[in-house]
Amino acid sequence: MIGAILLEIPFGDMVHYLSEYTVVLFAFAVIFVLLAIVSLPEKPIDIVFGTDGYTVKETPKDLGKFQRFMAIACGIATMGVIITGDVFNFTLLAAIIGVLNIGIVAGVKNRHVLSAAFSYGLVVMMATVPLFAGAAIILATTGTLSIWELAATGGVPIVAKLLLLIGVFGEGMAPFYIGKAEITRASGAPYILMIHVSSLLLFLRLVEILLTV
Amino acid sequence: MMEFIADMDLIYKIGLAVAFLAILISFTAFVREKEDIHKLIIVDLIELTGLVVIALIATDLAEALILPGLVVGVAEILAVSELWLTKEGLQRVPTVKRADIEVLHTAPKIIGALLAAYGIFLTGFTGGLIAGLGLALFFLGMNTSENFSSSESASGYAWALWVLGFLVFMIFPSQWFFALMLAAVGIMIKVMAKISLVGTMRGDGS
Repeated sequence: MIGAILLEIPFGDMVHYLSEYTVVLFAFAVIFVLLAIVSLPEKPIDIVFGTDGYTVKETPKDLGKFQRFMAIACGIATMGVIITGDVFNFTLLAAIIGVLNIGIVAGVKNRHVLSAAFSYGLVVMMATVPLFAGAAIILATTGTLSIWELAATGGVPIVAKLLLLIGVFGEGMAPFYIGKAEITRASGAPYILMIHVSSLLLFLRLVEILLTV
Repeated sequence: MMEFIADMDLIYKIGLAVAFLAILISFTAFVREKEDIHKLIIVDLIELTGLVVIALIATDLAEALILPGLVVGVAEILAVSELWLTKEGLQRVPTVKRADIEVLHTAPKIIGALLAAYGIFLTGFTGGLIAGLGLALFFLGMNTSENFSSSESASGYAWALWVLGFLVFMIFPSQWFFALMLAAVGIMIKVMAKISLVGTMRGDGS
């Protein structure tokens, strides 16, 4: 594990933990969940060229609520990814982050945004293959999925690590797909941040796992 | 890497080779496909090949890993197909014609009551399924206008019972029988409520 262990939460035989490294990531996720809870959706303003006129895009109230719910759920899934001490839970929560990232923009009635989200959805679904395959090969070769035991014994095949990495590439690709399309085309700013934050934290946690096991 | 391959059982090696061949074939199909909806269907196929790799573990644990994997896969395909429908503007409801079947006016009451009673006697997932089928048959036959928000909230409370059962399992393992009963009743009501909703899907947008 990177850094000293600060907190252990035993839950049956699964022991969740926060180390000096992951506690920073966890705090980051908490801050952005709180931001999603307290902030109101922004109203993007387009300046009309050649005049001093402008147009305001209002976010419908139910869309704002839906996006807020999805952003909070995504933040909680991100906390789960950070705190878990089990490789399979990690992969599962990573896949859930992928779905929730689509969910954040799914309510936007804009063809371009929906096209981007659809393409990303296909990538997310395909990425579950290497993700779960990586976890399955780890289990088949070492006999355990607990990060604690893997850290003690080692012996995780490089193939499994690579598969996990490819899977997280797919799940965490959202900022390059929907994030950009959404920011440039539609409203909903404070909640869109969660797409970026969750992907970033997912990568950083994966780095910790790959260096530990 | 070489060491990893040498250490494996022969049968696991063969299984992995076949699984990765299947993954390769399905990915090739995906690359060759241009239509969005076909891509979506092929992606579902690709996900199944991922489950095959998990199944190759071939212990009890494999089942425990496949179920959540499957659930996540289903959730993803539901979300993405809903997205596709919105994107293509295909969310109109077709008009329905009613076939006035005589037996559906009389039989569902009796069969439904019998199945529901037997399901409650069984409890657990199986019981919920059987009782739910009884209710589904009842709603299918009887053109009732029930208020389903109450059955939905019952299912919500049942789910809370189920979660409570799990927590008791983990925190007070000595009370396992109580926890088992909580979970069994909870899952029974939950599954029953969900399955009975199937009987109300008449495709008329109600």
